[in-house]
Order: sequence, then C-alpha cells, then structure tokens
Amino acid sequence: NMDLEDDTTVLTTLKSFNSFISHTEPPQRLSEQSAGIGNLQSQYKRSMELLEAADRVRSKNRYLQLDQEKKQMELSHKRARFELEKTASDSARDLEHEVDRNQDLLGRIKKLEERETGAAKNLSEQVEANRALRKNLESLNKKLEEQDTKVNTANQTISSLKDEIRELKQKIQNQSSTISTQSLENQELQEQLDLQRRKYQEVSQLCQSFQAAQSSCSEHIIKIKELERRLALQEQDVAIVESVKSEVAKVPDLEKELKRLREDNAFLRESRENCSLLKEEVEGLRRKLERMAKTKEELVNMELEKEVKKPEDLSREVIQIQQREIALKEQNYTLNSRVRSVERSQSELRAELSQQRSKTLEEQKKREAQDSLVRRLQKRVLLLTKERDGMRAILESYDTELAPTEYSPQLSKRLREAEDVLQKTQNHNAEMEVRVLTHMHKLCVHIFFRQKIEDLEAERQRLEEQNNILEMRLERHNLQGDYDPVKTRVLHLKMNPTTVAKQQRQQEVEALREEVTRLRELVRSLQDGGALVHSQDDSSMHTPNLGLSLPPSKEVLDLRKQMESSELRNQRLKEVFQRKIQEFRTVCYVLTGYQMDITTENQYRLTSVYAEHMDDSLLFKKGSNGSMQLMETEFSKTLGEMVALHLHHQKSIPAFLSAVTLDLFSRQTTI
Amino acid sequence: MTSTLKGITLKGSAELVAEFFSFGINSILYQRGIYPPETFTRVTHYDMSLQLTTDSKLKNYLTNVVTQLKEWLFECTVQKLVLVITCLETNEVLERWQFDIECDKSAKESSAPREKSIKTIQDEIRSVIRQITATVTFLPLLETPCSFDLLIYTDKDLAVPEKWEISGPQIIDQSEEVRLRSFTTSIHKVNSMVAYKRTDSV
Repeated sequence: NMDLEDDTTVLTTLKSFNSFISHTEPPQRLSEQSAGIGNLQSQYKRSMELLEAADRVRSKNRYLQLDQEKKQMELSHKRARFELEKTASDSARDLEHEVDRNQDLLGRIKKLEERETGAAKNLSEQVEANRALRKNLESLNKKLEEQDTKVNTANQTISSLKDEIRELKQKIQNQSSTISTQSLENQELQEQLDLQRRKYQEVSQLCQSFQAAQSSCSEHIIKIKELERRLALQEQDVAIVESVKSEVAKVPDLEKELKRLREDNAFLRESRENCSLLKEEVEGLRRKLERMAKTKEELVNMELEKEVKKPEDLSREVIQIQQREIALKEQNYTLNSRVRSVERSQSELRAELSQQRSKTLEEQKKREAQDSLVRRLQKRVLLLTKERDGMRAILESYDTELAPTEYSPQLSKRLREAEDVLQKTQNHNAEMEVRVLTHMHKLCVHIFFRQKIEDLEAERQRLEEQNNILEMRLERHNLQGDYDPVKTRVLHLKMNPTTVAKQQRQQEVEALREEVTRLRELVRSLQDGGALVHSQDDSSMHTPNLGLSLPPSKEVLDLRKQMESSELRNQRLKEVFQRKIQEFRTVCYVLTGYQMDITTENQYRLTSVYAEHMDDSLLFKKGSNGSMQLMETEFSKTLGEMVALHLHHQKSIPAFLSAVTLDLFSRQTTI
Repeated sequence: MTSTLKGITLKGSAELVAEFFSFGINSILYQRGIYPPETFTRVTHYDMSLQLTTDSKLKNYLTNVVTQLKEWLFECTVQKLVLVITCLETNEVLERWQFDIECDKSAKESSAPREKSIKTIQDEIRSVIRQITATVTFLPLLETPCSFDLLIYTDKDLAVPEKWEISGPQIIDQSEEVRLRSFTTSIHKVNSMVAYKRTDSV
C-alpha cells in the first residue's frame, strides 16, 4: 500500500507538476505582448517558482523514494527479523531436541555405566567365586591327600592287626588246653561238694528234729503255765462267789429299805409339790391382799377427797385439767410442726446432696478428660523437643564444620542424616500407627467376642430352659408309660386275665342275647297261643316254639275246649239277654207311653210318645233310700201345676206321669 | 427269706426282684379289689403281713409271668413291668402301676458279688409296699368290674417266647401320675410309679 501510495503521490505530484507547467504556458502566450517586462519578471518568478517547485518535487520525490526505500528496508528488516526469529525458534527447538537427546544419552550413559558397574560387580563376584572354588578345590585336594595317607596308615594297621590275631589264636589254643585240665579238677571238686551236701542234709534233719522236740517242750511248759493261771483265777472266782453270796443274802433287806425309801421319796415329792402350790396360793393371796389394801386406801382417799371437794374445787380441777390438756395439745402441735420442718429440710438436703454428687461426677469426668488431653500434649511436646534437638544438632554440626572444610560433602552428609532421621521418624510413625491399629483391632475383636459371648450365654440359657422343659416332658411321658419303639417292645401273655375276662364277658353277653331273643319269642307265642283256642293243630304247631315252658298235654286241650264252649255260651246268653231287654223296653214304651233311658247311675230319663219336642223329657233320680225324685228339666218347668198336684199333693208318680201323658195326648189330638 | 449268703450276685438279685413283683402284684390286686378279698390269704414276708391269692388260675398266670421275668432280669433285657387295670364295661384303662427296672450290665461280665445286705434290701422293699398300700387311699374308687393285665417292656432284639405276644402300651387317656419310692439291690434298681385316670368331679 505504501508503495502504491508512494507511487500515487509521485504520480500525482508529477501530474500536478505537469499541469502546473501546462498552466504556465498558456498564460505565457496570452500575456506575452502586454507585459513584456512584467512577463519576464513574472516569467522569472515563475521559473524560480518552478525551479523551487521542481526542487520541492525533487525533494519530495527523493523523500518519497527514501521513504519507500525505508519502508522496503523496514519490510526487509521485518522479514529478516521474522526469518531470524523463525530460525531462532527452530534453533531453539533444535536445541531442546538436542538437550533431550543429550539427557537421554546421559541417562543411557548412566544406565550403561550402572550396567557396567553391575557387570564389574558380577565380574568381581565371579572372580571371587572362582577364587573360592579354586580354594575349595585346593582344600579338597588336600583332603584327598590326607585320606590317601590315612588309607595307607590303615593298611599298615591292618597288617599289624593280622599279626596280632595270629598271636592271639595261639594264646587261645594254650588257654583251651588249660581249661580242659581245670574242668577235670572241677568235676572232682563237685563230687566232693555233693558228699558234703548230703552230710549237711542229714545234720539239718537232726537239727530239725531237735528243734521240734524243743518246741514241743516249750508248748508243754506254756500249757502248764496256763493251767496254773486258770487255777489261780478259779480260786479268785471262788472267793468272789463267796462274797457275792454274802451280798446276795443282804439283798432282800436292801429291797425293803429301797421300797420304804421310794415311798418316802414319793410322799416327800407330793408334799413338796403341795408346798409349792400352797406357796403360790399364799403369794397370790398376799398380792390380792395388797391390791385390796391399795384399793381400800384409794377408796378411802377418794371418799375423803369427795367429801372435801366442793363443786368449785371440782370446777377448778376441771379447769386445771383442761389447761393441762391445752398445754399438751400446744406441745403436740409445736412438735408436729417441728417434725414437718425437719422433714422438709431433710428432703431439701437430700436433693442438694444428689445435685452435689452429680456435679462432682461431672467434674471428675472433666478432670479425667483434661488429664488425658494433658498427657497427649505432653507426648506431643516430647516429640517436638526431640525433633528440635535433632535439628539443633544438625545445625550445630553445620556451624562447626562450615569454616575449614568443603561444603557440598557436608551438605550431602547432613542431607543424608536428615533423611535418616526422617526415615526413622517415619518408621516410628508407621510402627505407632500399626500398634494403634492392632490395638484398635484387638479392641474390636474384644468387643466382638464379648458380644458373641453374651449372645451365646443367652442362647445357652434359652437352650437350658428348653432342655428343662423337654426333660420334664420326657419324664411325664415316661411316667405315663411311653416308650421308644426302636429300642423297646411291649409283651404280655396271650392268655392274660383281661383277655380271659373280656372273652367271658363276650360269652355272657352272647348267652344273654340268645336268652333274650328266646324269651321274646316265648312271650309272643304265649300271646298268640291265647287267641287260638280252637285248633289243636295250631297249638301243636306252636309247641315246638314254646319249647319246655308249656306242657303239650291233654289238660290244656280240654281246658281250651271248655274255655271256648263257655265263651260261646256267654255270647249266646248276651245275645238273648239283649233281645229280651229290647223287647221289654219296646213293650214298656208302647204300653206306658214313656221311653225310659238310664242316663247315669240312678238317673232315669223318660221321654213321652206324645212329646211335642224331641228334647222334652222328665228326669228322675233314685235316692239313697230307694225313692224316686223328679229332677228339674226344661220340660218339667212347663208342668208346674201337675207337679204340684200329683207329686207334692198326691205323692204319686204314676198319676203324674199319666196326667202328663193325657195332657200331651190331648194337645196332640186337638192339633 | 433270710439268706446267709454274703453279697448279691446277678442271679440272686434277679430272684429278689422277681419275688418283690410277685408279692407286690398280689398286694395291688387285693387292695384294688380286682379279685374278691375272700380269695386271698395272709402270709408274712419282708417282716410284714401280705396278702397272697388262692385262686389257682391267677396263681398259674402269675407264676408264668414271674418265671419269664426272672429269666429276663438275669439277662438284663427287661426295662419295665406294668400292671394295667381295665374297666370291662367300657374297655378303658383306669390305672397303670409301672415299675421301671435299671440293670447294671457290668454285673454280667464280672461275677464278683456286690456288697449289700439282704436286710437293707428287704427294708427298702417293705417301705415300697407300704407306700403302695398308702397310695390306695387317694386313688379314685373302682366301681365297675375290672380286670388286670401284666405288660413287660423288653429290648427290641429279644426273641418273643411262645405264649407271649406283642401288645400296645395301653396308656391312660388324661392321667395323673405319682412317683413312688424305689429300691435297689445294687445290681437292679426298681422305680415305682402309678398313673390313674383323672375323674372329672361332678
């Protein structure tokens, strides 16, 4: 843009210059003649101006060119700088790459160096191993040589020993020969020994017989002594017997005395008892007497007092007594109030006491917490002081060792020391942490186990209770007779009293049942047999069922026949009687005109043949003396006159009845 | 039985226990009135007076049972002896006299007699029988005709003898149980107990 602008400015200035020049020419033509002198001056001015303008333009141009050059230079500068920067960054990058590569290479170098050192170590180790092996080899070689020498010496010893063996064998042979001679001697000695033994046995037998004789002698002596002793004892016994006899003679006298004494004793005891009783009575009476005397005195006093006392005195006394009472009551009240106040104060004090106790407990707890805090802080302080001491030591060491000697190895040494201390503290820390953890773990385990123990205890108690309940149940079942079919079996005899009794019962029941059925049949047959009197065949048919109960004899048949005939007769008589009665009644009715019915015992109802209504009837009752009396009926009420006349007046029932008949007849015929 | 033997052998113990059962069962039958009192006669044993039955069938039955029991006591295979009283009308079990037997099996191996005086054993048996007689006072009355049976609980692997058969335990429905005294011969221990049917009080 700058170039373009520069170019445009250049162009514009050129244009302007050209224009200016062109402008100057026309005015020259116009004003050439008019102003020849003036034109020269003006021309001169103009040319000067033009020159100046041209200078100006030239300078501007130059300026512009310079400007452009400058800009170009700036541009090129910038570009150069840019490129330089690029190259710089590139070189920096390259540098970094180189540095990294350098470091990598350094690292590789280090590793290689380490490997080298390691290899060198290995090599040295191998060399040492080699040396050690060589030493081993040498030692083994030495050992081999030693063993060879040993073998040689052993061989030598073997040969020497073989020589010795030969010599020993010779010695053995010599000794065996000596042994044989000595055995012969031994045999001879043994024979002598046997002889001696036999002699010894004989002597011992003699000794024994001698001893036996001695023992029998001693036994005899003992027997003699015993017999002498017994004799002495018997003499003593005799003496004792004599004394006892004399004493026995005294016995009856003693018995009599004893009786007498016993009686005296009993009597004395009774008298003593009586005495004691009498004493008690006396005491009682004395006391009574005293009491009586007292009461008497009191009575006397009272009487005296009564005499002395007047109503005023009495009232005074009463007042005194009342005053006393009041005083006592006041005392009572004061005492009660005091008691209450004391109780109140006591309860207050108790409350205070409980408060104070709780406070003290709280204070104690606080104190304990504070103590624990103090302890923790003290521990911390200790740790810190230790740290400080360590640091101080380090610093001191720094200070002391700073001046004369080198710096860096000291630093590295101190660094190492500090690192060591740090490591130690870290280890210590780790240990403490581990310890704390283990403690916590143990606590947890502890608590866990305690919990488990409590649970197990509860479980155990529950199981114990269950066990008790089950044992009780088991005991109950055992008492009731329960058993385990796997281990136990219940047996009984086949022929046992219960089964026998049951069988008997069953048989009885069966027998009873049979009898019952049989009796029922019999009863039924009896009932049926009574009805069938006529046919003998039927009765003979029945006899097998009746069995033994009825005699199937002729008597029965005769009796049956008789019964039947008498029944027939009865029947006929009944019929005849019935007929006759009926005849008689109808005749009566026809002849007398009255139908007579017996309604109840001793009551006769008469209905007239000419009765106007069906219900019209006369009722007669037979009295106890035999006389007939007329009872009142509806119909008889209508016959009052005739009743009065014939029955009351004439005292004739037949007349009355006839009158009634005639009256009814007359009434009928008129209609 | 006054024996002059010193010490108790297995055989002797079995005999003592069998004898106890013989007298004890007779006592119970008499006390409970299973058989009429006139069929019993008085004897003296264990220093006390006891009742023994004269009914030949009953005697025969008891002898059979006691003989077999003695054998089983000697072999230590018997566990219980039970006297069951059944009502004949309703076939219900009314009473159960149960005797548990514990046998010391070590006496089978060693034949050395045990130190226990016969007198002590007899005293113990006497107190048991006395107690049985005393318990009758609180047992409910047996008003209906009853019969009895003897059950023996044995080990399962035992061979069932001829004339014997397997039975049920005949347990009482709704029972009250009372534990009585026990006695021991130092080889066999016998525990007694009685169970009776609860009577619903009216």
